Amino acid sequence: MLMEKSLVENGFIIDLTGAQNTSQLIYELSSIMEHPQVKGKNICLKLGKLELKQSQLLSIKALIESMDASIAFIDTTAEQTEASAMSLGIQLSTVSQEMSSSMEGINSKEISELAASQIKTEEVIIKTEDGIYDNHGEAKTIEIQADTGIQSGTIATTEGIDDIYDEITTQELTEVIPSEDYNTTDFGSVAAIEGLLPTEETSKYILLDTGNVLPEGIEENSANTEALPTLYINQTLRSGQTVSYEGNILIIGDAHPGSEIIAGGDITVWGILGGIAHAGNNGNITSKVRALKLNAIQLRIAGLYARRNDTLNVPYVQKSNEFTPEEALIENGKIVIYKKLRRD
Amino acid sequence: MTGRVIVITSGKGGVGKTTTSANIGTALAKSGYKVVLIDTDLGLRNLDLLLGLENRIVYTIVDVIEERCKLKQALVKDKKNPNLQLLAAAQTRDKTAVNAEQLKEICDILKEENDFVLVDCPAGIEQGFQNAVAGASEAIVVTTPEMSAIRDADRIIGLLATKEEITSVKLLLNRVRPNLIKSNEMMSVDDVVGILEIPLIGIIPEDTGIITSTNKGEPIVNDEEAMAGKAYRNVAERILGEEVPFLNLDEPRGIIAKLKSAISKLKVKV
Repeated sequence: MLMEKSLVENGFIIDLTGAQNTSQLIYELSSIMEHPQVKGKNICLKLGKLELKQSQLLSIKALIESMDASIAFIDTTAEQTEASAMSLGIQLSTVSQEMSSSMEGINSKEISELAASQIKTEEVIIKTEDGIYDNHGEAKTIEIQADTGIQSGTIATTEGIDDIYDEITTQELTEVIPSEDYNTTDFGSVAAIEGLLPTEETSKYILLDTGNVLPEGIEENSANTEALPTLYINQTLRSGQTVSYEGNILIIGDAHPGSEIIAGGDITVWGILGGIAHAGNNGNITSKVRALKLNAIQLRIAGLYARRNDTLNVPYVQKSNEFTPEEALIENGKIVIYKKLRRD
Repeated sequence: MTGRVIVITSGKGGVGKTTTSANIGTALAKSGYKVVLIDTDLGLRNLDLLLGLENRIVYTIVDVIEERCKLKQALVKDKKNPNLQLLAAAQTRDKTAVNAEQLKEICDILKEENDFVLVDCPAGIEQGFQNAVAGASEAIVVTTPEMSAIRDADRIIGLLATKEEITSVKLLLNRVRPNLIKSNEMMSVDDVVGILEIPLIGIIPEDTGIITSTNKGEPIVNDEEAMAGKAYRNVAERILGEEVPFLNLDEPRGIIAKLKSAISKLKVKV
C-alpha cells in the first residue's frame, strides 16, 4: 500500500514511520527513491515521531531532489522536525495523520519491499485516485494489482476528512482553477481543495484579529466602485512610498514590499503587489484588490485585515511571464482570493 | 515591576544592531522574561523582517504617538514566543515624526509591564539616535573589528557619556573572524577593548547562518548549533547578571568535530 492516498497531485506519500533512526530512514528512503517512477514526482513524507535536525532534514530534501523529485510536504509528530521543516520552508501536514488511523498494516519495511519489486506505480496511482474523494464518505475498496501478492485493501474515507472537504467552499481559498499543466499548479491550493491540509496552512491569507479597525464615524457601505474616479500611476512603488486616493487606484508597475496603497475603491496593480494594499478604506466592502501576482504582505478591504501566511513569506517574487492574475474580495465576512484564468 | 530599558546602538550602519536586538530579545524571551523590542529606525525599518513579523504589523510607533491606536494594539506578538513583542517603526515616515520625549514616554510605560525594553537605534547621531537613547538607562554599543566602525563607536560612547540617565555602557564585538585575527589581518578582541575602554558583553563570531536566518525571519538564537546563536545566548545570560566565559572561537575543534562537519557536508551533496 505504498500509494495509499495519491492526493498529492502528480505524486505520492511515503510512509517512513517505521524507521528507528535517521540512518535507517535515509536507507529506506533511498531504496524507494531508486525506483524510476519516482522521477519528477511530488512526495509527501510521513516521518512519525523521529526528531530531525535542520541539517538532517536538509540532507533528506537533497536526497529527494537529487532524484529529480520534490518534497510536497511532510507529516510529523516530532517538535524538532516540525521546527526544522518550518525553517527550511517545507510544508507541514497534520490531516494525513487522521487518515493513517483508518489504514492499518502499513510499515516502511513493506514499502521498501514494494518499491524494490517493481510495482507499476502508475497503475496504483490511477486506481487510488478513483477510490478517493467521493463526497459522501462511503467506504471505498481499492484493489492493488501487483505481483507481490499484496491483497486488496479497504480505505474508509473518514468523517474528519469529509468535514474538511465540505468546508472548502467557505474557506479563504474558495476557487482555484488548476492550470492544465500540473507542474505549474500551486500545490497548496490543490491540497486545500483535496482537503489534505488544514485551512490554516494552505490559505494564502489569514485574517488578523484586529477588532474593528474602521475609524470612528465611518460606516460599512457597498457603494459602486465603478462610479468612482480612478488614479493612474505609471511607475513602480518602492519601499516607504504611499499612494492614497479616495477613488480607485491603478498602478502600472510593481508595488514593492514596504509600500502602501490606500484607496477608497478598488486597487489594481499591473505587476507584482508586494506591499500593503487597503481597498475601500472608507468602509466600502465591495472593493477589490487585483494584481498580476498577489503577494501583498497584508491585504486590507474595508475593516477586514488579513496577513500573508508565514509559509509564503518570501521576500521577493521572481518575475515571470506566467503569472495568473488574482483578485481579492470580501465574501461571507472573509477575504477570498480568486485566481482568474487568462482569457486568451 | 520596573524593567530595564537597553538601547542597542553603534553609530555606523551595517554592523549588526538590528540582528543583535532581534537575537538578544529572542534569547531573553526564551528564558521566560517579558521583552518588548522597539524599532526606532523610522523609514528604514528592518527588525520586523528579522523576526518574520512584517505581515502582522497593523499599527506602528507613529500611530501610537499620533493617537490613532492604543499602545497595546500596536504591540505585535512573536510567532513562537508570546513573551516577545515588537513595536514596529513606520516605514512611510521619517525620523522627524517622533521626538525624544514621546519615545521616553513610551519606554516608561512599557517598562512598567515588561522585564526588558530593547530599543533598536538607527545609524547616525542625529535625531533618530537622540530619540532612541532618550528612554534608556543602559546601552550596548555594537561594533565590528574595523577601524571605521570602532571610530564611530568611540564617538557614540562619548555621546552616551553626556547622557546622565545612562548608567551602563557595554561593548558587543560583532563579526569576529578568529583566523583573520590569528594571521594579524584583523584587530583582536583585546585591541578593540583597549581602544574603546568599556566592558565587553559579548563576542559574536562571523556566521554565514546569519544571512539565511535574516532572509527567513528566524533569529539565529533559535538554532541550537550555530556559533553566533550560542554567542548571543551568552550575551543574554550576561545581561541577566550571570558570569559566562567568552566562547573559544579558535577554529580547530578536535578531530571528531571536524569529521562530523565533513560528514554533514557530504550528506547534503548526496
